[in-house]
Amino acid sequence: MSAAPTSTPPAPERPMPTPTRESQPYWDGLREGRFMLQHCAKCGKARHYPRPVCPHCFSMESTWREAPPAGRIHSWTVCHHPFNFFFKSMAPYVVALVDMEAGVRVNAPLRGMAEDALKIGAPVRLAFEPVTKDVTLPYFVAA
Amino acid sequence: MAAEDESMAHALREKAAVSGVGETAYTRGTTQSGLALQLEASLKAIDDAGLSPRDIDGVIPYFPGGGIAEDFIANLGLPDLALSAFIPMGGATCVAALQTAAMAVATGVCRNVLISVGRTGYSGARVSTRLQQFPQFALAAEFEAPIGMFAPAQLYAQGARRHMELYGTTTRHFAEVAVVTRQHAILNGNVVMNKPLTVEEHHASRMIADPFRLFDCSLESDGGAAVIVSASDRARDLKKPLITIMGVAEGHPESPASIAQRPDLLEFGLAKAAPRAFGMAGVGPKEIDVAEIYDCFTFTVINQLELLGFCKKGEGGPFVMDGRIALGGDLPINTHGGLLSQGHVVGLNHVIELTRQLRRDAGRAQVKDAEVGLVTGYGDMGDGSVAILRRSA
Repeated sequence: MSAAPTSTPPAPERPMPTPTRESQPYWDGLREGRFMLQHCAKCGKARHYPRPVCPHCFSMESTWREAPPAGRIHSWTVCHHPFNFFFKSMAPYVVALVDMEAGVRVNAPLRGMAEDALKIGAPVRLAFEPVTKDVTLPYFVAA
Repeated sequence: MAAEDESMAHALREKAAVSGVGETAYTRGTTQSGLALQLEASLKAIDDAGLSPRDIDGVIPYFPGGGIAEDFIANLGLPDLALSAFIPMGGATCVAALQTAAMAVATGVCRNVLISVGRTGYSGARVSTRLQQFPQFALAAEFEAPIGMFAPAQLYAQGARRHMELYGTTTRHFAEVAVVTRQHAILNGNVVMNKPLTVEEHHASRMIADPFRLFDCSLESDGGAAVIVSASDRARDLKKPLITIMGVAEGHPESPASIAQRPDLLEFGLAKAAPRAFGMAGVGPKEIDVAEIYDCFTFTVINQLELLGFCKKGEGGPFVMDGRIALGGDLPINTHGGLLSQGHVVGLNHVIELTRQLRRDAGRAQVKDAEVGLVTGYGDMGDGSVAILRRSA
């Protein structure tokens, strides 16, 4: 092979969400720094992830309302093996599964908390990280 | 209602039998396609049953990946296929397929149904790529992949961690499942992992997704497997001892496509399927002589033993200790080496091993006088399936 000019291989791309007609308001909310949840227009229950029908009362009418960013740790994992190369430089990273005050769960990276401080019930708060001009992803910090 | 349920359940009891089993070599590295592996295993299973490919009139191939009904007609010359079905339940597929096959042969729709898997999990696409083919993973792809959660190891790790926090389950318990499964694999001539594994080696293996280390995770391997389900009254005349399906059921959890939103991370489809399968079979956990438990992860085995009623919720860790799940123990499990050490063909190898155990054809891993055994499937974010088989002749 001839001496190729030194070039950095393209950085692996982050997997990105493909919003659907149902979920678009959730992603729009994150981009605006707001935790928006789908609520049934009839019985009022919040549901996540977004879907067309309320599984409690079967209404197809829903509204989107901002929900509090507070929650408590339900469980967590520490990801060491990067199943996608994009995450290789971040590993190990903590992903916390959080019971949000609104009654749904959010799975997102938890930053700034030591592994030995992680416990069920620990209070955390949802924060927002813009990763492109269109997409903002959630993460957690200690409350 | 209860009486009606009972009569429905009993309509299937022992009406179907596993009449043939076949598998390829389990390897890491093959030049064969997934379809070729699947067909090789299928031909072996058909031969094992004493049938000709012409006798197969139903096919349930693992999906996605591998062949479809058209491939089986084209390759095996099936003259009159009466049933083509997919069971899109990930790791719960193969045992759930026993239920569909049993319904087909019990009602006379089919005489002999072929269930088969061909997988190039090592030499072909790996797990994080394969999962993209599953429509059931669309939610995870939208909401969890972007934040760094893709693989089952990561998605199931949070449930394992919660079990540890709530019940005091430890990685020593996980290691016991890995070590015993390896001991069993070494007795089997057709396995990927054939060297002894110690608890220390388990604990020293690299972390994948805490609390799962490398040796808590099932293999990425290549291989094919197949079984034939026939009507019991016909299977009686075939070559091998009659192994009937006493009870079989599938179950689907709440929040089926997202573990994250499931009210209880430790309750999944098997919790619903188990009482139905035991009810149909008319036996309970105490009657089970040998169990092949879907072992995508060590912890998954512990969790399923609880949901099956072999022990109480939270007691699965201590339950697996002290030789209980090893050959010679009260409940030998994964006597072939499982997905952890034999090979990953989505658990159809578990059905094959249970059939061999009940035929008393399991070689050095034979559980003495095995009469009744159980096999589970688990996957697709928490679907579950379970079958109870019996040596009836």
